[in-house]
Amino acid sequence: MARLELVQSLNGHKGIVWNVSWHPQGKIFASCGEDKTIKLWSNEGQEWIIKTVLVDGHQRTIREVAWSPCGNFLASASFDATTAIWDKKSGQFECNATLEGHENEVKSVAWSSSGQLLATCGRDKSVWVWEVAGEDEYECESVLNAHNQDVKKVAWHPTSDVLASASYDNTVKMYKEDPADNDWTCIATLQSHESTVWSLAFDKTGERLATCSDDRTVKIWKEYKPDNQEGVIVTGRESTWKCVCTLSGFHTRCIYDIAWCHKTGLLATACGDDIIRIFKESEDSDPNAPTFELICTKLDAHSQDVNCVTWNPIGNQELLSCSDNGEIKIWKLME
Amino acid sequence: MASRFSGALQLTDLDDFITPSQECIKPVKIEKTKTKTGAKIKIGDDGYFDISSGKEQKLQKVEITLADCLACSGCITSAESVLVTRQSQEELLRVFSERKYTDNKGVTKNVSLVVISLSPQPLLSLATRYKLSPEDATSKLAGYFKSLGADLVLDMTIAEDLSLLEAQQEFLQRYQDQQNDPTSKNLPMLASSCPGFVCYAEKTHGNFILPYISTTKSPQQIMGSLVKQYLSKTKEVTPGEVYHVTFMPCYDKKLEASREDFYSEMLNCHDVDCVITAIEVEQMLGNSNMSLSDAPAGSLDAAWGADEGPPGPRGRAGSGSGGYADHIFVHAAQQLFGESNVQLVYRNLRNPDFREVTLEKDGKEVLRFAIANGFRNIQNLVQKLKRGKSPYHYVEVMACPSGCLNGGAQVRPVTGESGRELVLQLEAMYAALPRASPDTRLAKRLYSEWLDGKDSDKAKAILHTGYHAVEKSDIALNIKW
Repeated sequence: MARLELVQSLNGHKGIVWNVSWHPQGKIFASCGEDKTIKLWSNEGQEWIIKTVLVDGHQRTIREVAWSPCGNFLASASFDATTAIWDKKSGQFECNATLEGHENEVKSVAWSSSGQLLATCGRDKSVWVWEVAGEDEYECESVLNAHNQDVKKVAWHPTSDVLASASYDNTVKMYKEDPADNDWTCIATLQSHESTVWSLAFDKTGERLATCSDDRTVKIWKEYKPDNQEGVIVTGRESTWKCVCTLSGFHTRCIYDIAWCHKTGLLATACGDDIIRIFKESEDSDPNAPTFELICTKLDAHSQDVNCVTWNPIGNQELLSCSDNGEIKIWKLME
Repeated sequence: MASRFSGALQLTDLDDFITPSQECIKPVKIEKTKTKTGAKIKIGDDGYFDISSGKEQKLQKVEITLADCLACSGCITSAESVLVTRQSQEELLRVFSERKYTDNKGVTKNVSLVVISLSPQPLLSLATRYKLSPEDATSKLAGYFKSLGADLVLDMTIAEDLSLLEAQQEFLQRYQDQQNDPTSKNLPMLASSCPGFVCYAEKTHGNFILPYISTTKSPQQIMGSLVKQYLSKTKEVTPGEVYHVTFMPCYDKKLEASREDFYSEMLNCHDVDCVITAIEVEQMLGNSNMSLSDAPAGSLDAAWGADEGPPGPRGRAGSGSGGYADHIFVHAAQQLFGESNVQLVYRNLRNPDFREVTLEKDGKEVLRFAIANGFRNIQNLVQKLKRGKSPYHYVEVMACPSGCLNGGAQVRPVTGESGRELVLQLEAMYAALPRASPDTRLAKRLYSEWLDGKDSDKAKAILHTGYHAVEKSDIALNIKW
């Protein structure tokens, strides 16, 4: 059995810590929360310490932070209906652009793999796609009203400009741009969860997607292209996404977040039962009906809800988590 | 069920997940007499009864009208159910058979004249749906409505003409005012004929953006004034007895028709009583198991006098949404810069739904107009305005991608057909319609005979309207993580 060893417990935020995000090089991470601040942490010697605190960017809770793939920009999504873009061009981090348009709380923000596009979503049920249009300039490319409830999370495909969103309406939707009019359209609706889908994560190929839900299950979806060999029926030109695996019986409360490591292939989940769980795909897993094994259960990872988990992108088995109790923890997985 | 309103309007809704205390936050005034103790209310099978006075008194059921919803910052999708009762095909059929209607104020009136006004976009939508030429579709539609009980079926050319003429005039005025006071919020002037955009602006951007929106009424509402105030006189009926139905390409027009601004206290009625859309007429035909080609042929009526051109739908230069940018540009080029016969060449910006056109004089750009369709382009325009980076003098803003020909209540593409192909087909049909230009003899006569001349107080009162910011109420209960 593998185990999660605590590297360090970090206290810096007042109140709920909603999200933590690794810098692409894995030496810095950002955190945000109820206290309306963003903190940047880095490792000095053996200790992780706060290097920078970004304040006055938002008037309400900051729900999510995301680094651009180049690592030069940080986006923050807030309940004040705006998304701020921070950069360090002047030598220190400053907010140099604000994306406005959402009617109310922005819940999630994500950069595409090229760094040219951003997606945001929120309580107004919409998903927005923004394009970097020049220095500190962002233009709205599309406003997607495909969901009929609060949209909780957006995530980009790891290599192409395909976007996925998870919602309170129990579905996941995928979108891409229609070259005919440069507008975006919903190309797939993934239905199987029986309650709110809180988060989602692509694997490194982008051909599989893991989703987690208030229905206490994790689902793995596989993309079947129009010319697939398995004989899965695909109508139209867009791929069909099929649920090929449901992990049920493991989680006892709502699952708030899921992270799929692109280096190790390990899945980590953040759960309302205060537990972090790690799943590993079986050696003999059938691609069309994969099996995953629970290899680690970290009981009482936090004293309250675990809100977010994220693997260090460099693949060193480091995992970050944060919680309602104001804590951030850095873990190392020992297999 | 997915909402049928345009994307812009859907976004103005805060949340459909309504917490118990919040089903509707519109305060309702209840007339009651003071008692020492609280009221005692008995719940009966057939209603609620106030028994505090000793005898049972039935309590009035609270009804929230569409007008209430429009004035409220709460939900808007719930307004759909209100809308459905007042402006549905069922209601229309009922009025045809009973010759009676109940207005927004709850007053029931007898109907002596049913007038249907046809806008060109939904007409073309039905023509395509039933594979008819625009002329045949017009004739069949007129015949169909008359077979149901309509007394007059009219085109809206004259209302479009007046709307364009007023907008041209308004632009010149705003341009001059802006020259005199560059800090004023006169320019860019934004088109006002799209109720989706107007409602979005009122609910989300309020006083920041409203001054830019043209005060000129949309063709639908000008038609309303024409029918209720001018036509009723010539037909010698009271405005309240006229039931006026407009045939429109989008559901948002129903919201527009229901606005308090378009209710006349003096005439005691709305300018437009019911808005019916292409999709709904398709359903009505379907419910009777018929195609539009099965309807009897009929003809449009000429209601305005001898100087009216031959009736029928007309196309406008520039866009399928009514050609606002084009007409105002041409007029302004001539009036302000003495340039006649300007050729308008639109450039696509980031996407084909954001186009701009400029006028240069002596190597200097003097006019810059744009057409911005679809919600994403409205967003970019609003953000430019906010940051003081809008280079435009005028923007034709429509909430639907591709504008009104692609309105939210146009007949959907049949399976296998792409929405894009359908819009292209409609655009081609619209471009092939006989062209109208607004400065007609009839328009001139209406100005002099009915409106006391151009620029008169009466013309301002009848052809213009106002907008109102809706205050946001942020209730803590609304927050969800």
